[in-house]
Amino acid sequence: MKETIFSIPAPLSPTANLVKFSWEGMHPKETFSIVAGLHGDQLNSIYLCSQLIQFLDAVAKGIEPGYRLKGRVQVIPAANLLALQEGTRLWSFDDLDMDLTFPGNAQGELAEQIADAVFKHTVDSQYGIVLHTAADHYEDAPHLVCLNPDSVTKDLARSLGPEIARKPEESPAFRLKLYYRWINQGIKAVIVSAGKPHQLNQPLCKTLFSGLVNALLWTGVLTCNQKKPRKHTVEFFDSGCEQLIHAGAAGLFIPMAKPGASLKKGEKVGEVVDLYTGAILDSPVASADGSLVTLRDYPIVYQKEPLAVLLGKRKFRFWPF
Amino acid sequence: MERQAIVSYQTPSGQTVKIIKHSFLSIRRWPVKRVAFVAGLHGNELEGIYLCHLLTRHLRGLQTSQPEAFKGEVHIYPAINPQAIATGNRLWPFFSVDMNRLLGGENGKSLPAQIAGALLDDLKSSANIVVDFHASNLHLNEVPQIRIIDGFHKKLIPLAVHCNTDLVWVHPPSPVFESTLGYNLNRAKVRALIVESGTCLRLNCDFANSLFNGMLNLLYQTGVLVPAEPPPPVEHPLMVQPSQVALLQSAHAGLFVGHTKLRQHVRKGDTLGEVIDPADGDLLQKVTAPETGFLFTLREHPLVYPGSPLARIAIKETDLL
Ligand SMILES: [Zn+2]
Repeated sequence: MKETIFSIPAPLSPTANLVKFSWEGMHPKETFSIVAGLHGDQLNSIYLCSQLIQFLDAVAKGIEPGYRLKGRVQVIPAANLLALQEGTRLWSFDDLDMDLTFPGNAQGELAEQIADAVFKHTVDSQYGIVLHTAADHYEDAPHLVCLNPDSVTKDLARSLGPEIARKPEESPAFRLKLYYRWINQGIKAVIVSAGKPHQLNQPLCKTLFSGLVNALLWTGVLTCNQKKPRKHTVEFFDSGCEQLIHAGAAGLFIPMAKPGASLKKGEKVGEVVDLYTGAILDSPVASADGSLVTLRDYPIVYQKEPLAVLLGKRKFRFWPF
Repeated sequence: MERQAIVSYQTPSGQTVKIIKHSFLSIRRWPVKRVAFVAGLHGNELEGIYLCHLLTRHLRGLQTSQPEAFKGEVHIYPAINPQAIATGNRLWPFFSVDMNRLLGGENGKSLPAQIAGALLDDLKSSANIVVDFHASNLHLNEVPQIRIIDGFHKKLIPLAVHCNTDLVWVHPPSPVFESTLGYNLNRAKVRALIVESGTCLRLNCDFANSLFNGMLNLLYQTGVLVPAEPPPPVEHPLMVQPSQVALLQSAHAGLFVGHTKLRQHVRKGDTLGEVIDPADGDLLQKVTAPETGFLFTLREHPLVYPGSPLARIAIKETDLL
């Protein structure tokens, strides 16, 4: 079912409708919510939702052999519709980051009203996935983010496919995210981040799509008589395992590794070269072995900007008694 | 006057951007108090930058003619977000990041987060009292006011009354504030006043002059600056809490046409403006004062969506201490 959950009348323009798709089995006990497009330029996640919507429509019509809906699934594919229509990360009218406005406010500014609608429509779920791509100008290897995951959330993470999960540190800004508001309500939830903004990577979406279907099977909201849910190996990294590599100089960044690569200590991540002469100004290297989870994508860089994030062994802060 | 860069970084084309701090040191070996003024966290808010200019010019003259007036220290940070200022944008360029939402935890150590952190550390080591100047966004125009988060009010109101603002507004805490400079300074026991005045991308000389007198009075009242001739006395501000603020919002999408001026007393029923449908020639909403009081916020940007704020009226004063 497709329904409009919030209407956005605009001065001298057509009304934009925030939509939610949902499907229900015969005796739904549990709800699985998927939200994408909190930033208007994160196209992989929006495309991924369209694939899922097609699939679940087919399941509901009984033309997807073996699959049957048992619980309830709902998908909000383009939460920040106004930014999406503008081709930007944030809606330029208010410059508010929608993923820093949760739980929203029905009486507030438009971004807060939309956040309120998204939150209210998903808060009664048992499971939740927020789909993201990397931040502007970066590319992420497919990975998961989960804050203080319990055993059920860890199993949900293991059903999704990516083999890396980051456990972030809580911050005031993090507490304004939809994801945080969900887990605060007891929803078992994970963020999936993959690829880069402004781009549609179909092979990547295909891989993530099978992961999402597998997650639906794992929770039991979807069943399949020919398929058992798979459990993948996931390595969980806390923030102490994250190694940030910064640009020692400003200029053009020429990467020498790809997101997802394993780097050895001392291995080059890339070079920063002079904008005009191409002379090498900085050759940032991995300071320890690790897996490259985020890499700078846009080549123009300022000095001191992060170029890469590596996940490796935890640095010992204390004596390991 | 001493000039120092608290942080610097290189741009891709090789210039060095410096975040500057001007310091006026005390004649005393143990200065009575240390006050800092901060502007330009949001690059399009020019009122505070102008105010820093007025203060620097005045203090430079005074340092030559009456060096003995400096019983304490004054530090001025006139432009925290220089590249956003150069382009008249609210957000840090390139990443659309709000510089005033980066504190209080791990935020990925992006360049703006590093600078926000360096600013916080520098202020903590240089000042007991900080005044952080802001203007409104493109949408609203505000009379000079100080905004205080409930809980910090007992320490801040005794300072705020010296600043010659029209209004001091104590509002309840919200998670949104926890990543701001002001909140994190107050948490660190550095008393920080958040001044909001005017609208972005414009200068209002009346407002700037009021605040300039207020800041000189604050320096005088705190014993930091004691010139031969004391500054002129200032007006006592209106003190309001949320229950004494009437917020008027648009019920429609359209154009708001204001029919009144900011910074005046209005009577219940007075016309403040209207929301119109420019295409059909319809009057959508007559905007009238719901109560008698002081009009301290008025919409500047004519485009409105449902929920857009149009005006705020302070309806009566109370004793907050
Ligand atoms: Zn501001």
